[in-house]
Amino acid sequence: MSGHAPIPYTTEPRADTGVSNVTMGFWLFIASEVMLFGALFSSYALLRVSAEDWPVGREVLHLGLGSINTMVLVWVLVLMSRTRRARVGHYRPLVLAASALALVFLAMKGFEYRTEWVEGVRPATNTFFAMYFTLTGLHALHVVGGLIANMWILAGASSVGEAMTRGRLQAVTRYWAFVDLVWLTIFVGLYLL
Amino acid sequence: MRIFSTDHKVVGLQYGWTSLTFLLLGFLLILLIRWQLAWPADPLPLGGLLGAGNAPGGFMLPEFYNQLGAMHGTIMVFLAVVPLAVGAFGNYLIPLMIGAPDMAFPRLNMLSYWIYLMAGLVMLASFFLPGGAANSGWTAYPPLSILATSGQTAWLVGMFLLIVSSLFASINIIVTILQLRAPGMTMMTLPFFVWSQLVTSFLLLLAFPPLQAAAILQLMDRLAGTSFFLPSGLVVSGQALAVSGGGSPILWQHLFWFLAHPEVYVLILPAFGIVAEVITTSTRKPLWGYRGMVGAALFMGFMSFLVWAHHMFLTGMGPTMSAFFQVTTMIISVPSVIILSSLVLSLHGGSIRFTVPALFALAFLPMFGIGGLTGLPLGLAASDIPLHDTYYVIGHFHYIVAPGTLFALFAGIYHWFPRISGRLLDERLGRWHFWGSLITMNLIFMPMFAQGLAGLNRRLFDGGRTYAASAGFEFTYELQAWAAVALGLVQLFFIVNLILTLRKPRTAPDNPWQSTTREWQGRS
Repeated sequence: MSGHAPIPYTTEPRADTGVSNVTMGFWLFIASEVMLFGALFSSYALLRVSAEDWPVGREVLHLGLGSINTMVLVWVLVLMSRTRRARVGHYRPLVLAASALALVFLAMKGFEYRTEWVEGVRPATNTFFAMYFTLTGLHALHVVGGLIANMWILAGASSVGEAMTRGRLQAVTRYWAFVDLVWLTIFVGLYLL
Repeated sequence: MRIFSTDHKVVGLQYGWTSLTFLLLGFLLILLIRWQLAWPADPLPLGGLLGAGNAPGGFMLPEFYNQLGAMHGTIMVFLAVVPLAVGAFGNYLIPLMIGAPDMAFPRLNMLSYWIYLMAGLVMLASFFLPGGAANSGWTAYPPLSILATSGQTAWLVGMFLLIVSSLFASINIIVTILQLRAPGMTMMTLPFFVWSQLVTSFLLLLAFPPLQAAAILQLMDRLAGTSFFLPSGLVVSGQALAVSGGGSPILWQHLFWFLAHPEVYVLILPAFGIVAEVITTSTRKPLWGYRGMVGAALFMGFMSFLVWAHHMFLTGMGPTMSAFFQVTTMIISVPSVIILSSLVLSLHGGSIRFTVPALFALAFLPMFGIGGLTGLPLGLAASDIPLHDTYYVIGHFHYIVAPGTLFALFAGIYHWFPRISGRLLDERLGRWHFWGSLITMNLIFMPMFAQGLAGLNRRLFDGGRTYAASAGFEFTYELQAWAAVALGLVQLFFIVNLILTLRKPRTAPDNPWQSTTREWQGRS
């Protein structure tokens, strides 16, 4: 069967499952991501409850920077979800603005790391900071991943056509929602509690 | 055949040849181990080739022995058996069995293979690092693994890559099965093989990420000086370790076994699938209790996430926890028994043709039975305590994986080889391969139960010669060493068979076993 038939249901939903291949694949990916972060958050909880003393996040982390970053990331999602209603071709400025905000997030996160570094804080300082750097670092990598996905959509928009681009935008918007959710969990678990 | 192909058959074959190579490598490592265990006081034959850093004058150093043990387990489980069972058989056969043009995401499929290969090469290259490959066991328990030489870092990086590869593969398999089934093919008309791959993929998808998380944390411990898995007040070689402490070695065990117990079912479910196909073909009968088997596979997949701590009865987690995991462990044996019984009942009233694939599939049944039954005492805390970490455990899971899963995989290779290559493998060489493997594997693994019951611990480079328990067992070690050599020689029948057959013209009929499943209908 050389040069096989095109693969069906890539973007259009299959009747009996109700979803397209991309949508199903995306949710499976998110399921594995939930297990990844779930394991890390569980580790955090286990290490924290068994620790004799544990720093209060509000006091040792930069709550102001963290709060602003939370707002920034929420706005990334707001802008990305607006692309759904945007008219043909009009999603471009929204995606660009969202990506710029994501860059702001990364820059502020970098500034926060630098401040902590200057204060002499290292991952090896204690288990709280070990968890902080691991979780926020992995989350930042996910933000970078989202940025790359945004650029990939814009770059490919003209060649793959409107329907495919819409499908990709929807998937990547959901991805940003997941990235936001992880950040909120980090923010509450590490900065606030 | 293009090297960078997105075709599911090419990717499947690439997975197949690569994983068979790793299978051979993993076997060669254990051959060294078996020889060392039999004659720890003598130099290894050709031991000089291992290098003065590993075996000066041919005498194997304990440090090198530890590398062999860790890498045998890692290679066999993660680089040989799972990629062969899922990457090769799954990729090649699923689209053919469900009438799909290809996998749902062909490029992701190709990527999955190349990342797997990269992971394998990282693992192999680690033997050449200073201090050699990972030497803390395939389970990589801290604190040992965190204090270990740089091979452990390579192991973690390799593991991380493997998990990415298996993530891509499992997403692809699940979407392919659910979305690309031919019109009118309902879930309950899928071949059992396809069901087994579906459940396996869900396990890979959901169980591997926690190990990835654990690998990240262990990398941080090794590279950034954190103490996720290092407790306070750890003293190494008389020196207090300069880390902040406060970590938990037990946390690693939880994260590791949360993956590694479902992993056991990843090893066995595709084997059930292959055996089911081979048995129905060679008995000329449909599967007995198909619905029950599908239900059992689903239930087994679900339950496999709730049994992990039966590997940890000795960690002092308390009788309440032990009781919970004992109960779930006993429950999960039920679906295995349902599937095995259905396969045995499928033979009833059939007109069995004892072809080579049928022989391997039939031998799988009692061999897996031995492996399963000997697992029960390990699932109960009271009897696990004396047996933990002894050769009994090694015997138990090798019966599951070697004459169990591997036999199923061999059955699959002999069975589908004509579909893949248009040539039938030689029956006579196949029989020699089968009987030789069956006898030698039993000679290797059966004595392990006696050794373990006597209290001989695993992972001792001299086979525990300094312990009283080893008295009288020298003979069994020597028997196992010779049986391992014989097992290696018997595999030559298989290798020669592959080479000779591939040089012959394509003369096999389109459907040599008169199978009724879809992958044999219509040639391509």
